[in-house]
Amino acid sequence: MTTTQPTQPTQPTQPTQPTQPAPGSTSRPTPLPMPRVGPATDLAPQPIRVVLNWGRRYSLWVFNFGLACCAIEFIAASMARHDFIRLGVIPFAPGPRQADLMVVSGTVTDKMAPAVRRLYDQMPEPKYVISFGACSNSGGPYWDSYSVTKGVDTIIPVDVYVPGCPPRPESLLQGILKLQEKIAAETLTTKGIRAKYAGHRIASAAEVNRPLVPPPTKAAP
Amino acid sequence: MTEEAKKPGAIGIPGILKGLATTARTMAKPTHTAEYPHAQPHLPPRSRGVIALLEENCTSCMLCARECPDWCIYIDSHKETIPATTPGGRERQRNVLDRFAIDFSLCMYCGICIEVCPFDALHWSPEFEYSELDIRDLLHEKDRLGQWMPTVPPPSALDEHSAEAAEIGATTRPGRLVRTTPARPAPTRATPSGQEPPPASGQEPPPPTASEPAPEPGE
Repeated sequence: MTTTQPTQPTQPTQPTQPTQPAPGSTSRPTPLPMPRVGPATDLAPQPIRVVLNWGRRYSLWVFNFGLACCAIEFIAASMARHDFIRLGVIPFAPGPRQADLMVVSGTVTDKMAPAVRRLYDQMPEPKYVISFGACSNSGGPYWDSYSVTKGVDTIIPVDVYVPGCPPRPESLLQGILKLQEKIAAETLTTKGIRAKYAGHRIASAAEVNRPLVPPPTKAAP
Repeated sequence: MTEEAKKPGAIGIPGILKGLATTARTMAKPTHTAEYPHAQPHLPPRSRGVIALLEENCTSCMLCARECPDWCIYIDSHKETIPATTPGGRERQRNVLDRFAIDFSLCMYCGICIEVCPFDALHWSPEFEYSELDIRDLLHEKDRLGQWMPTVPPPSALDEHSAEAAEIGATTRPGRLVRTTPARPAPTRATPSGQEPPPASGQEPPPPTASEPAPEPGE
């Protein structure tokens, strides 16, 4: 029963829905598999859930989506003076597939929004999002702009909103504390996780089927 | 590896010893990490954390809402008629603030609202701990804005020989001098007309009436 992995009870790549379209039809939108929690998590008694939540809240591998000046404050929060590793937030996750927490800090433009959504889709459940700064909360000063997404919560579900323009590094720490309180109180269910997706997860088939990008080869002199 | 050690910059100390020396030096120094959740940060008094509202000073003149670059201040008010205090006096009207809200998810913390407020109803407070789980909770109404008012630091001290602040000087200065000259004689109606004869009635233009066209600007 305790074998449930805290960070990966569900893999988004596990096919819970039947067959994906053939790789030839690349332009059609493809439903991604809906996430679910493992059977052990569903059956776990309350003490086990407390332990699992305790593990989740103090090992948040963070994935920074630094898009503008707020990213500087995020970097300040990760450096030695504020040092959010004290709170169990571990920076420099190798990629979104290894991250639990995404901090969107900065102005999300409409051109960047598909990338934000795609990397969010790649993160394993349970995943959390902190929206850091006025621009990612609601567009901020650019709420009337033609090119800025009016808040990152229009494309991904956000757990904690940190206000500021930019917020202090301590504000991020306080937002992390608030997120940790939320994780400690939560009960993971398949229904609860799927409720974040409004019933479906749609990606274009090209995004799903695209092969790995090969590393650059050394150019011959 | 051996080539690295024989570089012209190296003085012969193996790299591991240099690294250990750096480690030992760093170990001796005290850490400078700010233990935030356990120790409150020492914020400068002018830091821009949140905007506090002193509701008594607000006349709902809407200057802050109109100057806000983000249009993130919401003000509702109505007019209230104060009956005349003396018999035959005039009734006064004053604005009553119904709603004052700042949307801190939009606010860009420029401080223009604080600059333009003519009655010092808005103040910077260094508070920063108000992140929320729901974006709608970032719209703070006037009661919440008023709760931040005790955290506003006092204004910075004046320079050494500067004049005292105008509002403080107004309280300590003696009141306006009361005129002690004897009362003027009551003007009689005959006096001005007798000293200053009216112009000739022939040159005086007739008073304009509604039926006549407006006088030319040259006249």
